[in-house]
Amino acid sequence: MSVVELENVWKVFGSRASEAMAAIRAEGLGKAEVLERFEAVVGVKDASFSVEEGEIFCLMGLSGSGKSTLVRHINRLIEPTSGTIRIMGEDIGAMKSEQLRATRADKIGMVFQNMALLPHRSVRDNIGFALELRGIDGYSRAQAADRALETVSLHGYGDRLPSELSGGMQQRVGLARALAADPEILLMDEPFSALDPLIRRNLQDEFLGLSQNLKKTTVFITHDLDEAIRMGDRIGIMKDGEIVQIGTAEDIVTAPADDYVADFVAGISRLKLVSASKIMVNPDAHAAAHGPIDPAKSYPVASPEDDLDSLVGLSTGADLPVLIKHDDSIVGIVTKDTLLKGLQGGAEA
Amino acid sequence: MSGAVIGGGAEQREIDDRDVSVGTFLQEKVPYYAPVFEKVQRATLPRWHLNIWALLVPWLWSAYRGVWVLFWIALAIDVTAIVCLMQVVKFSPLLAEAQLNPEANATLIARYSHWINIYSWIGVLLLIGGRLWMASSANRLYYAQYARWRINSAVPSGVSMQRLVLGVMVILIVAPLTTYRATQLRLDERACFNHIRAAEGVEALLARYDASDVTDLMSILSGEITQRETRMEALNAIETLSDEQKSERAALRKEARDLGRDLELTEDFTNITARDKFDCYFIDDFPTLARLEPPEDITYRRVPDEEAIAAGREGATKVIEQIKDPVEGRKVTIFTYSAESIDISINYLRAQFAGGFDAMTNVLRQSLIRVEVAFMQTPWLVVAFLFIALSWAFAGLGTTIFVASSLGFLALFELWQIAMQTMALVVVSTAVCVLVGLPIGIWMAKNKWFRWITEPILDVMQTIPSLSYLVPAVAFFGISQPPAVLATVIFAMPPMIKLTALGILQVPESTKEAALAFGASEKQLLRKVELPMAIPSIMAGLNQTIMLALSMATISAFIGAEGLGAIVTSALGDAQAGKGLLAGIAIALVAMMIDRILKGIRNSFSRI
Ligand SMILES: Nc1ncnc2c1ncn2[C@@H]1O[C@H](COP(=O)(O)OP(=O)(O)O)[C@@H](O)[C@H]1O
Ligand SMILES: [Mg+2]
Repeated sequence: MSVVELENVWKVFGSRASEAMAAIRAEGLGKAEVLERFEAVVGVKDASFSVEEGEIFCLMGLSGSGKSTLVRHINRLIEPTSGTIRIMGEDIGAMKSEQLRATRADKIGMVFQNMALLPHRSVRDNIGFALELRGIDGYSRAQAADRALETVSLHGYGDRLPSELSGGMQQRVGLARALAADPEILLMDEPFSALDPLIRRNLQDEFLGLSQNLKKTTVFITHDLDEAIRMGDRIGIMKDGEIVQIGTAEDIVTAPADDYVADFVAGISRLKLVSASKIMVNPDAHAAAHGPIDPAKSYPVASPEDDLDSLVGLSTGADLPVLIKHDDSIVGIVTKDTLLKGLQGGAEA
Repeated sequence: MSGAVIGGGAEQREIDDRDVSVGTFLQEKVPYYAPVFEKVQRATLPRWHLNIWALLVPWLWSAYRGVWVLFWIALAIDVTAIVCLMQVVKFSPLLAEAQLNPEANATLIARYSHWINIYSWIGVLLLIGGRLWMASSANRLYYAQYARWRINSAVPSGVSMQRLVLGVMVILIVAPLTTYRATQLRLDERACFNHIRAAEGVEALLARYDASDVTDLMSILSGEITQRETRMEALNAIETLSDEQKSERAALRKEARDLGRDLELTEDFTNITARDKFDCYFIDDFPTLARLEPPEDITYRRVPDEEAIAAGREGATKVIEQIKDPVEGRKVTIFTYSAESIDISINYLRAQFAGGFDAMTNVLRQSLIRVEVAFMQTPWLVVAFLFIALSWAFAGLGTTIFVASSLGFLALFELWQIAMQTMALVVVSTAVCVLVGLPIGIWMAKNKWFRWITEPILDVMQTIPSLSYLVPAVAFFGISQPPAVLATVIFAMPPMIKLTALGILQVPESTKEAALAFGASEKQLLRKVELPMAIPSIMAGLNQTIMLALSMATISAFIGAEGLGAIVTSALGDAQAGKGLLAGIAIALVAMMIDRILKGIRNSFSRI
């Protein structure tokens, strides 16, 4: 069962949203026409995806593409104009307000780009906020908060005010706050975007490490493709409110769905992303062009899952092409030419 | 790549490529202006280069070309110059008249000649100098307009007949009337009032004598008078008059006199010249045209309700209304009409809700008494100690010294008890302000419509002079301490409300969103996020409210507030400057003490 499930979610902003929605349904209006005729902004356009337990799902797109809007549907900070959202099988749109608040406090933690900590509360009280809202007593709250602080390596900072911490530390507090109630789901809206590159890198690594242990189902938002590739098990690419492609980093880099995505991935290093199987040449085709494999010579050998980085390592210094073997049989061959083409991109079969 | 914007349609400005050439801007006379513009740009246009049209008809030129800056400046300079020259026209006849009798009027002659001299010089200099400046600046201003037009297409360009007509209309409205006014001496205010009275009187007479027009009315009136005079002469001719005849004659004389007065009024009316009317309507005060029937003069009184008492309800009362007969023919202005209507409504409310007003007065009086007791009966040593301890704990050494010396001043000048009375008044008023203002402020922050209504009301309240608040307080509650508290509360409340609302509205949307995301309810959001984050703003509001309450506590001494203010008002009445000054200093010291201590408390809060 998927933990988070979105089905044909639409969000139209404006006082005449429902009218606009009906017109979109009936006439298939575009964004510009909707704006012109109904003064309504299409924030999210027919989004569907699901996130499995323990998975990190990255939503990536330029600013204004509707990522924040979409992610706020998951805890119903924003009501969809149309469509359903299910949290662990339960329709969040059908929840009464009391149940909704309980779900938000117990099951969903959220981290914000601008931290949004409460400036008048100590770090510990900030972290215990969700528990406090649920009426948990002060002692248990403090214990949970200190545990969460330890998780984000901020042990001993509980009595500081947020303003006394650096940006990176504040965002750790934000993360600890989201983790304190031990929710199943984490929503992270560009959590590291406001940080310096070095600190961002640090926090990314740290969060990845954490994730391996905690196994939280995570929706991670970013406008930075590198970050999406680093963090995401799968990536959804958004453009103008629409999810244009969903897939693993390799899928997206090797088979962009359209020119927009292709433009995006053009500058991405493929060394660690693309595997041998994507670029290798069929042995027969190779034999036709260059003659058969000479079993006497010692060819470098790799498996189909190896990335281009390791193929480069094997190829340098060797005069012979690399044999790609699966279960001891040769499934493909990578010459230096193929490798260079593969690095450049656009040559996949 | 990160941070770039694609698809953000709103962020891409349409850049239209409109034609911004000099030719399009000028439309006419390009060969003259194009080189001039270039010289302006190079700063080589000589000061003595005059634009001939701007020299001759500056306002027409600038209206035609849309250089409205120059239009208004030119109009102002020229009209001022003409007004000065018109003073010469005004004073010349007076001078001529005075010169008929030079010995008696020596001072007048000297004064008039002096004025005529000065005004003619100023007028001529303004006219000539102004025109030279306009003619020399016109091209520069025009070039500046061109530069602005290149950036903003809404800036006027080209030439336009419409603008010219508009300019002429403006001149026609401004210039002739102003010029004419300058030639006239100040109007006698009563003259215009008499016009209106005469017109009203004649209207009534026309109706009474059923006359078709004023001439008709005059002949009827003189006919009536003649008729009575003839009869009187007949009576006078009789040697000995009976008592009856004597009283008839007296009656006739009176009637004739009244008729004569009516006739005089009618004659006055016909003698009003068109010019008088014009002067009254256009060159003096705004003409008060509307004259209304006054509102019915009703008084409301609460009296014992005999019927109900008879039916067994003890002490029952009811409101009765008494209507006074209207004064015949009384007409009032809109101002008087409204004022009287408001009086009647207040009167009604007072009678109708007497119980409510009494209860309110009572609550205020009781709480005031309690607080006064607390302040005045606590030994001075204890109060002084508390003040000094507070300032020491929150506001540091400097403030503590200041507070101690201020308290010393109050004690030495025997103002202690009176100052404590003022404190009590301020404390009660502030408490009411907080109790009422805080919820209103919260509601205002939460409800857009309520805010939309309340905000302008608060703005108006803050601009109304403080003395005005005494009027309704007195109207509803009479003169004593409770209405003084009430006036103080109303005067001091706006900042409390406004800054509470502001503080809540200032809480960042993202912070509220985060609280909601963690499952906060509306109430929790208010209690745990919005109010705590609004505290600095609320404290600032509290501080302002206290300061306003203190200043109003002084003013409301006029309607019975006791304390330092009462000393000031009584000193004002008896012209005892020294007494008033010392009490004034005491008030300032009390205000500063409270302000400093509160600031200290606020700072130590925000340090947390
Ligand atoms: N409350 C709103 N009313 C109208 N338009 C909105 C509102 N919120 C967001 N939008 C629009 O929706 C689009 C997506 O915004 P957002 O979700 O914040 O983008 P992202 O997080 O990807 O930068 C933007 O064009 C924005 O102008
Ligand atoms: Mg966003």
